Amino acid sequence: MSTEKTNAEKTNIKKINFKRELPTTTLSGFALSGLLILTILSILLKNMPGKIQTAGDELLKLNATEGVSNAVTTVVVFFRGFDTLGEIAVLFIASLGIGLMLNTNHKCNIKAQSNFMLQTASKLLFPIMLLFGVYVMIYGHLSPGGGFQGGVIVASAVLLLLISHKEFEVPHSVIVVLETFAGVSYVLIGLMGLLVLDVFLANFIPHDISQMGLLLSGGVIPIIYIIVGIKVGSEMSMIVQNLIQRDHHV
Amino acid sequence: MTGIIILGTFIGIIVVSFAAIIQRKLADAIILFMGVGLGSVVLFFMFKAPDVALTEAVIGAGISSLIFLMALKHLESQK
Repeated sequence: MSTEKTNAEKTNIKKINFKRELPTTTLSGFALSGLLILTILSILLKNMPGKIQTAGDELLKLNATEGVSNAVTTVVVFFRGFDTLGEIAVLFIASLGIGLMLNTNHKCNIKAQSNFMLQTASKLLFPIMLLFGVYVMIYGHLSPGGGFQGGVIVASAVLLLLISHKEFEVPHSVIVVLETFAGVSYVLIGLMGLLVLDVFLANFIPHDISQMGLLLSGGVIPIIYIIVGIKVGSEMSMIVQNLIQRDHHV
Repeated sequence: MTGIIILGTFIGIIVVSFAAIIQRKLADAIILFMGVGLGSVVLFFMFKAPDVALTEAVIGAGISSLIFLMALKHLESQK
């Protein structure tokens, strides 16, 4: 017994000593970060400042042909429209997962009574936040913002109402209709572009460069961004509602 | 002037993040995390990315911190 113990102690001591001598995790971390820094430095040295070519400048030059004054919107919705479709699909899958995990059949509305100040302030703030969200959504092609931002602002207004009024609940049927409409019409607009101009998500509505800066400029781009806003807003409010209902279950 | 604001915001974000790590109470840490989000909003705006700043203001400082607070409330009610 005693020999075993001493053996165990020895191995313990050896392990500790080994770890003290060679902190492998830290060393490998340092080595990895050093390697990364070297890679970045070599890339930077290879492309000297005069040589660097960025995709951004080319995209900004192309931006003028679409008649949309916010260049970011043109990139997100037009040049990378397919990516945006994928992002919306990812958000939909996230919302679906949260709904499947947290939604249960027995809904009990034992919400805590919220503060009087919060209730009064939410009555004042909710319409303003909703209006601002819709503004950001509709003016996405003229000013900073767009579908994602506007949709999330609308969802935060819904969140404010959810935490302040315990009887409020997001109407499920309305959300289903909105989300289905938005998802289907995004793909349909893409297919329309495929029919008219032989390119998926092409800008098939006539857009004149002279109308740049007007609300009805940019052809199909503002329409797509409003659709994205509707979809993001409904999905985010559903996610928030699921989380808060779960919170009030216990 | 812009450089001073950017540098100050950088230092403020680092200080607030360390403060958020050190906090013993989780609620204080969440409030400080909200502060980190607000600092990065200023930073994004100074670097001429108002679109990203808007997103960060709503998601980073708004919804995610509120969801954290809800989760904290849920945890404390279970204790």
